[in-house]
Amino acid sequence: MSDDYLRKPFSLAPAPAVDDPQTSASGNYTPATSTFSSAPVSPYLNYDSRFLRQAQPEFIFPEGANKQRGRFELAFSQIGTSVMIGGGIGGLAGVYNGFKVTNALNQTGKLRRTQLINHVMKQGSGTANTLGTLAVLYSACGVLLQYVRDQDDNINTVIAGTATGLLYKSTAGLRKCALGGAIGLGISSLYCLYLLSQESNNNTNSSPKFL
Amino acid sequence: MEEYTREPCPYRIVDDCGGAFAMGCIGGGVFQAIKGFRNAPSGMSRRMLGSLTAIKTRSPVIAGNFAVWGGMFSTIDCTLVHFRKKEDPWNSIISGAATGGILAARNGVPAMAGSAIIGGVLLALIEGVGILFTRISAEQFKNPSPPTEDPAALGDPSSFSFGNPTSNNKQYQ
Repeated sequence: MSDDYLRKPFSLAPAPAVDDPQTSASGNYTPATSTFSSAPVSPYLNYDSRFLRQAQPEFIFPEGANKQRGRFELAFSQIGTSVMIGGGIGGLAGVYNGFKVTNALNQTGKLRRTQLINHVMKQGSGTANTLGTLAVLYSACGVLLQYVRDQDDNINTVIAGTATGLLYKSTAGLRKCALGGAIGLGISSLYCLYLLSQESNNNTNSSPKFL
Repeated sequence: MEEYTREPCPYRIVDDCGGAFAMGCIGGGVFQAIKGFRNAPSGMSRRMLGSLTAIKTRSPVIAGNFAVWGGMFSTIDCTLVHFRKKEDPWNSIISGAATGGILAARNGVPAMAGSAIIGGVLLALIEGVGILFTRISAEQFKNPSPPTEDPAALGDPSSFSFGNPTSNNKQYQ
């Protein structure tokens, strides 16, 4: 089909029948549209497609959808990111410590290789586990707060950070627990201040994602 | 899980790693809580303390193992998707076996083979159960087959004629 229907005037009459082999084979075939050609079938079927604007991009705007993704959607990637970062940092520290220890003990060859791998595995998994546990606690607190308060804002971030610090050090005594909570409060409020300053700086519509 | 959909491939690794870590952390926490409770000396406060200690010491390790498994599995899965240009159950089975093998690499070749077989069988089971559930749930939504319309059941077409009173068709009214 070419675009020549655009140049012809719009009419209700059916298009001239194309001579296809099937209709010529069955001799007494009458096109069904010939009996209806005088009366329009339906106003919706007789719409001229030239009225449809085609060259514009079309968007579907989700109504009632949130501007940003919820905390639960972000939780797994946050946890994964912190686990991977922890593993990387711990692995590097393990390489450094491994070289230091093996040099100090004059271990060479196979022994040194094994010791290096041991150090990397041990420190890497240790740091990854610590950071990952922190991320799990933080995400759990954040998701809970989001469901309880039914909104997602900076206050959630601060409360979740403080609660994470408190929870993580909750078995180490009151002093350390308070210290952990204070550290969590400090980090999360610094992050929130950074977010707020950015928001007021560029003052755009796209609000940053809450972590 | 209503707002959780899987990410596209390279980012899926991070997502799967985090999901596995969370699963291991929470599931391992519950498991270790029960275990610590049972293994502690008698006395309620001691049991609680034992349970707490077990959670603190063991569940991050379990979570880390889960996360390594999930991350490695997803990495190999994405690599296979990239090279085979298709996503099917074989990807998961192959990557499960490869993950089992790689993560047991320091324990020697027999341990690697055993872990690889276990990983492959486990993932094959998971995929099989998934396919089974898809089949069963698809069975529910299947349309009922339309009744067969066989024109031969109507009899000889020449005996029917409409609007012809001289023919021998029956009178219904």
